[in-house]
Amino acid sequence: MQDVKLRARDAGASAPAPRPSALRRIGLALTPLLWLGPSLVLIAVVVLWPVAEMVRTSLLKISSSGVTLGDRGGGNYTDLFDEDDLVPVVLRTVGWVAGVVITTMVLSLAIGQLLNARFPGRRLVRWAVIVPWAASVLMTSLIWKWMLDNYSGVVNRVLLDLHLIDKPENWLAHPRGAMLWMMWVAVFVSLPFASFVILAGLQTIPEDVYEAARVDGAGPFRTYFGITLPLLRPAILIASIINVINVFNSFPIIWAMTGGGPGHATDTTTTFMYKLAFYDQNVGESAAMAVVNFLMILVMVLLYLRASRWREEVR
Amino acid sequence: MTARSAPPAAARRRTVRLRTVLLTATGWLVAVAFLLPYLQMGVTALKPEKELTKSPGTYLPGHWTWSNFTDVWSAAPVWTYLRVSLTVAAAATVVTLACALPAAYYTARNRFRGRNAFLLLVLVTQMFAPTALVIGIYREMVALDLTDTLVALILVNAAFNLPFCVWILHGYFSSIPKELEEAAFLDGAGRVGALTRVTLPISMPGVVTAVVYTFIAAWNEYIVALTVTASPDRKPLTVAIPSFVTDYQAHWQFLFAASLIAIVPVVILFVFIERYLIGGLTAGSVK
Amino acid sequence: MKRHLIGALAAGLSVALGVSGCGKGSSSDDGGSDGKTIKFVAAIYSDNTKPFWDGLIKDFEAKNSGYKVQLEMVDWTQMDAKVKTYVQTKQVPDVLNYNAFSDFARDGLIYKASEVVSPAVLSDFTPTFTEQAKYNGEQYGLPFISSARLMFYNKALFGKAGIKDAPKTWDEVKADAEKVKRGGAIGYGLPLGPEEAQAEFYSWAMNNGGGWVNPAGKWAINQPANVDTLTFLRNLTKSGLTQPNPETTDRKTVFNQFAQGKIGLAIGGPFTKASFIDPVNKSLEFGVAPLPSKSGTEHNTLGVMDVLAAFKKNDGKNKEAVQKFLDFFYQKDNTAKFLTKEGFLPVTKSAGDVLSSDPYMKQFVDALPTSKFAPTGNPAWTSVAGAVKQSLGTSVAGSEPKKVLDKIQETAEKAG
Repeated sequence: MQDVKLRARDAGASAPAPRPSALRRIGLALTPLLWLGPSLVLIAVVVLWPVAEMVRTSLLKISSSGVTLGDRGGGNYTDLFDEDDLVPVVLRTVGWVAGVVITTMVLSLAIGQLLNARFPGRRLVRWAVIVPWAASVLMTSLIWKWMLDNYSGVVNRVLLDLHLIDKPENWLAHPRGAMLWMMWVAVFVSLPFASFVILAGLQTIPEDVYEAARVDGAGPFRTYFGITLPLLRPAILIASIINVINVFNSFPIIWAMTGGGPGHATDTTTTFMYKLAFYDQNVGESAAMAVVNFLMILVMVLLYLRASRWREEVR
Repeated sequence: MTARSAPPAAARRRTVRLRTVLLTATGWLVAVAFLLPYLQMGVTALKPEKELTKSPGTYLPGHWTWSNFTDVWSAAPVWTYLRVSLTVAAAATVVTLACALPAAYYTARNRFRGRNAFLLLVLVTQMFAPTALVIGIYREMVALDLTDTLVALILVNAAFNLPFCVWILHGYFSSIPKELEEAAFLDGAGRVGALTRVTLPISMPGVVTAVVYTFIAAWNEYIVALTVTASPDRKPLTVAIPSFVTDYQAHWQFLFAASLIAIVPVVILFVFIERYLIGGLTAGSVK
Repeated sequence: MKRHLIGALAAGLSVALGVSGCGKGSSSDDGGSDGKTIKFVAAIYSDNTKPFWDGLIKDFEAKNSGYKVQLEMVDWTQMDAKVKTYVQTKQVPDVLNYNAFSDFARDGLIYKASEVVSPAVLSDFTPTFTEQAKYNGEQYGLPFISSARLMFYNKALFGKAGIKDAPKTWDEVKADAEKVKRGGAIGYGLPLGPEEAQAEFYSWAMNNGGGWVNPAGKWAINQPANVDTLTFLRNLTKSGLTQPNPETTDRKTVFNQFAQGKIGLAIGGPFTKASFIDPVNKSLEFGVAPLPSKSGTEHNTLGVMDVLAAFKKNDGKNKEAVQKFLDFFYQKDNTAKFLTKEGFLPVTKSAGDVLSSDPYMKQFVDALPTSKFAPTGNPAWTSVAGAVKQSLGTSVAGSEPKKVLDKIQETAEKAG
């Protein structure tokens, strides 16, 4: 149907032709390229080329100084799978992503609702919520690290003054505590975008839907779970997928706050990959890790596609 | 429950007022929570270096060192860094838009062979982040002889933010009734004319959202800039700022002063466009 | 070639979009194909480093017309990553200021020292350092700066605790730390975080007969003396005599606390006073003593050396310019100026006397002859140091010292 319309439109633009000539058909087939070309070139050159380069590097033998010594087949992969730390790091990454994204989504549903409600100063509050998005993640991580410092950090000072602790606590030194704090920072920097997407989603819900619910006598609880939440589904989906990508690939937070240490106790796949290359001097193995990382991402893409049933949604 | 029977007017007004008070209180609390780390940044940036590491920490500077904010400009070429960050972010935004607009428009308006493939490609590339690809990107830039250039940073930032922009714009264009455009088209505006005169103006919120998203992402990009740039006059702020604290020195006050200098312009930008932003995200989220 | 086509497309695209103005500036020719322009990557030691090089290069270019030096300053925290990408992508600088050279030598990337400096400079290097700069018996690295580590102690805290002298044995260290702790301060500041765990550990291990390699030059990281050393440090930590969480503490933090008078003992270097103590508390009363040993009989000092390495480029065409530049830097006045500005120790005989006039510096200069170095001549050392930085600290947090060292030994053997 679409095609008919398109042809009809084109016909209106130029001389009417009952059956497009061969040349014209080729022209028609090429039109999309004209519109999509720039995007395709940019994606191919800047995104896909490095991906191919990464895969190639993962099969090479590269000396500690960085010189390529030849093919290594799957050697880098066997080395990688022999690392005792690999499994914990992968599991931690999954936990990190799940924990951060779920917390972010729950909190942003609440904050979105708040930003959508009417109260004096709402505009200022909206601006305040945006700030962590405007500040770079690296800077935000550094200030959190600074606040959590066990000697001169303000967090310890406040807790000491409130007599909640009796001696300074080294928040980032214990893997479990450090991980929780870093997850909090990841949530903190993710909230602005997620909350605004939810807020935008809330504004698309027409008032009369609520009116109807009220007439039906639905309580606030039922209204929210029966109406608001289902209607927010696309917003939640887009906010969470962007969040998953950003959190999965997040490097600055962990790098700035603990460097993945002590040992590999707070590493995720991204920092682990970086350390393989630059501490262990093993670029090939690091590239293998990058490829494994990709496979994990691909799995997430597939899951996402299933969850979003994208074929039906892309209209 | 007596939900259906309306409460007396006075009581109802009282609940409304209570609701507003509660909302306001929560709202302001949330705002403070979001701002606290940045206030702390400001306070730290105003301490003299000696006070920074006092333990236990102090809440406020004992000696308000406003000169940190002036000294930082001479401690490092902050102005140059700012200019680099700005150039990269602005140019990346332009490139992204120039590529994303036609693609998003065409896929929203037409069905053609390869359309789904294209949208899938966009979706998949959205999952890739430069972090995982640094070495690949660096090798590529060497092959293109683009290391240590802003062009490299611009291209990388443009490419990795393209998917989101295509996505959000695609959603926006899809939500605009075709009839509006058709009308302009029939008036003889031509295809491109209809796009620029009718569709684009309506799509402003979507465009603004794409612009902001790309701009911020490019402004904050760290790891590619770290590996690709070398000369001091091509380093963006994110790469330059951490150098205030190294193994041999720790000028945290300058680090945070420079950070604030970097944050403030972006916050101001946000303040101006916040309204459009919500509209733009709406389109992305209804689709 | 397809690649170039796509590249051209990409470049064309960006030009067409009006970003051409932001490309490489006028100095786009950094290949140095004429052999007269060289690229020098220098590490940032302090705020003084860049001005020093800027001045020196200006001077050099004025005196050698036609020759140009492009300077790139790199922070130590980013250096390893930078160097690796340079080599991988064949974008090496002509001269690099770094802390390792032997894997470059092994891979045939750098010149022998004799190829790039005059015999006069070559013979001016102190023999200890020449030894450290050799790979397979040939000198490749050019000693650049050196440093030594000694024990710093807070005189006020010691006086309060009734201790007269700096500790000489490990037992005394423990006893003194306990006394200092009773006074409410931290006994010993132990930085085993990723910044410099290898230096801290070696400072102790070498004074217990331990070290990185055995007399035959094979890796011996899990030797009993090392396990014993790490166990001692772990016990110090477990008995609460160190600051909390040594595994995440860096040297900066320790000396910051030391400067505030909160730590009794800590190991530091010549730069410690100017970089860490003076900015916080100029009037701190502290003493500097030899590193304590387990037995108390002989006291070794940890020596540290950074080097310059000259990379082969353009079939050796850069050799002449590199030699001119290096010979210029190794003139007595220039090296001495760098050392005094940065608080490091000399690597040449000629600059040696300049520093001995300062009593604080003299202690370190005097300690140099008894110093021991990390095996920087072994190409696997960078990997080993990397593993040590990452995991050594976990031994005081929970892991068994023996296990931690076994694992590092494994890494070392794998690396060669």
